[in-house]
Amino acid sequence: MGAIRVSDDDLTSAAVRARALLIIEDDAPIRRALRNALSDVTDRLLEAPTGREGIDLTATERPDLVILDLGLPDVRGVDVCREIRAWSRVPILVLSARHADAEKVQLLNAGADDYVTKPFNTPEFVARVRALLRRARLPTADDVATVVEAYGLTVDLLHRRVTRGGAAVRLTPIEWDILRTLVTNAGRTLTHQQIFDAVWGDAAGNPQQYLRVHITNLRRKVETNAARPELIVTEPGVGYRAELPA
Amino acid sequence: MARSRVWAWVVWVTVCVTATVVLRERRDGVDTVHAVLTYLLVILGGSVSGGRPLGLALTLAGFLLIDYFFQLPYDTLSVSKPLDWIVLLAFLTTAVVTTHLLTQERARAAEAERRAGEVASLGRLGAELLSAGRAEDSLAGIADLIRTSLEVAHCRIYGRDDDAVRLLVASPADVIGEAGLADLDDLRRFAETTDRLDIAEDGASGATLQSHDPDGRTVLAALRAHGRTVGALYLTDERPIALDPARRRFLGALAYYAALAVERTRLVAQAEHAEALREADRLKDVVLASVSHDLRTPLTTIKALAQEGALRGDRNAVAIEEQADRLGHLVADLLDLSRLKGGALPVHPELNTAEDLVGAAMRQMAGLLKDRTVETSVDFTEPALAGRFDFVQSLRILSNLLGNAVRYTPPASPIELSVKRDDAALVFVVADRGPGIPATERDRIFEPFYRPAGAAADGGAAGLGLAIARRLAELQGGTLEYAARPGGGSCFVLRLPAATPSGAFVKS
Repeated sequence: MGAIRVSDDDLTSAAVRARALLIIEDDAPIRRALRNALSDVTDRLLEAPTGREGIDLTATERPDLVILDLGLPDVRGVDVCREIRAWSRVPILVLSARHADAEKVQLLNAGADDYVTKPFNTPEFVARVRALLRRARLPTADDVATVVEAYGLTVDLLHRRVTRGGAAVRLTPIEWDILRTLVTNAGRTLTHQQIFDAVWGDAAGNPQQYLRVHITNLRRKVETNAARPELIVTEPGVGYRAELPA
Repeated sequence: MARSRVWAWVVWVTVCVTATVVLRERRDGVDTVHAVLTYLLVILGGSVSGGRPLGLALTLAGFLLIDYFFQLPYDTLSVSKPLDWIVLLAFLTTAVVTTHLLTQERARAAEAERRAGEVASLGRLGAELLSAGRAEDSLAGIADLIRTSLEVAHCRIYGRDDDAVRLLVASPADVIGEAGLADLDDLRRFAETTDRLDIAEDGASGATLQSHDPDGRTVLAALRAHGRTVGALYLTDERPIALDPARRRFLGALAYYAALAVERTRLVAQAEHAEALREADRLKDVVLASVSHDLRTPLTTIKALAQEGALRGDRNAVAIEEQADRLGHLVADLLDLSRLKGGALPVHPELNTAEDLVGAAMRQMAGLLKDRTVETSVDFTEPALAGRFDFVQSLRILSNLLGNAVRYTPPASPIELSVKRDDAALVFVVADRGPGIPATERDRIFEPFYRPAGAAADGGAAGLGLAIARRLAELQGGTLEYAARPGGGSCFVLRLPAATPSGAFVKS
């Protein structure tokens, strides 16, 4: 039950290197571009041009992360996502050429961990991959306490304490629950619905919109500049994501 | 009807004459009572088959014949004994009363029969309306039924949409242009008149079209459903069409059924049209989605490969990446513009905060801004500024405004993004210290494909950003305006509806 400190020092880029990554993408030139972009992240890159082969490779090769393109010739992306989620917790990063927020929400709710829209910015894409890999290495058992430090803020998940420069930051119970949900899922984009479910449980009504007001109030307390948030990032039309520095 | 009446007269007058001849031959062996009873029988028969006029005529004839042939003194109209007057008066009274009773009963029976026929017709109309598969079929069936049950030569049903009146169905299915066809302009005026005057139920039907009908051989009835005139029922016959109050009522009922059928035809047509539009919309979405996908996929490869080259210090790769970005924005702008024009760009205003939007805009612009700084000024007083707007589309507006500021102002000049609340609006201002926009061009900058005079051809945008931004603002109930900035530069002012979150949802 000893506190495991996860801080910037432990998470250098060298520390997150995957054993194997899987790219499920039917377009060969994009596979090539992704291969080049990810050469620093992994030694072994698996490629599948169809959803079926992708699912099979995920089962047999157990990659550390799956990059899933939408618009595959054989299976719908959301179905690939659901099928893999039925038996694996491997992080899934979705790539899509469509700017459809409803689709992103659907995929994230189906178990995808994050979402990148084409054409993407390579450094940002690689950063997202690393964030997911880093998250996958974190202890997952609920009774393991962690302290997360980022941007001068310290979040003690065991003692439910937030401090900045030694001074306590006072959060309301809802703000604390939102912060905890985002930080324990750092690197994953959580949909409004997912955050709402985690914080409010089975509350009746449709008060998801108030989530945005609470997030704004929370940012004023934990961000260095609430108008330029770094820790809690908005994924427009989809939800929010906690970003820890690489 | 009239022909059977003539026959009744011929038959019963013959019977009367024959009876008189036969009785006259045996006058000496016949009592006056026998003659009286015989004539009463003839009168009964005549009343039943010929109606009241024949009955009364036979009564009068019988009275005179009894008096002349069978009462002493014979062969004269004079009456000898006063008691004989009693016989004659008794005969007359009995005959008149019987005739009256008989014909009344007969009229009732005929009326009942007609009512039964009308009820049966209405029943068939109702069934026709409900059972026919296609709305047009049921309308044709109704026209047939109206024609046969009102016994007219032609029945036409017209429908009315807005200003136009058109023939929907004719029974029998005849050639257009035949004599007696109503003038459509007249019908339109008629429909408008009945629409304006909220005519009482019985008056709504059976009106005649004056200009067209000098002899009463045509009848026009307004078809009214749900409080408006949906069309007209037009009947013609070779002879004048008689409309007593009962038939007028019946016509009113028929017209109501016809109105329902016309309305049904219209609703079915409307539904089919809406279905066609939905299908066209769906196809357009499919095309847009696939164009978007097909163009973005190669752009992704180009951009990724160029970025890789740029990391190795290849200057050409930097240019390739910039151009790929430009192409990507152009594709997105063109798709959005076509969606906006087609009304297919959905806007979902929700409760959002101004800070969230500003933060997201700054993050999205980070790549384009590079080392340029944007001063953000947000009112941090409690409670947080909130509004009811579509987050994604509002983000596009701010990104377009910031993108323009970066593109059209010198690299060293500052850009400012501020937000404050002004009464019922959230006011976002993107201000720069660039050259500003000449007064003569201020109206044109929100037009698609506008580019500032003298701007480089590869300025980086197609001139769609402001047109899209303004349209998106309007779709959310907001505005986007330009204002010259005191001291030089431009101000773009975006106003979105503000909201005050009442008692944020708290955990119980």
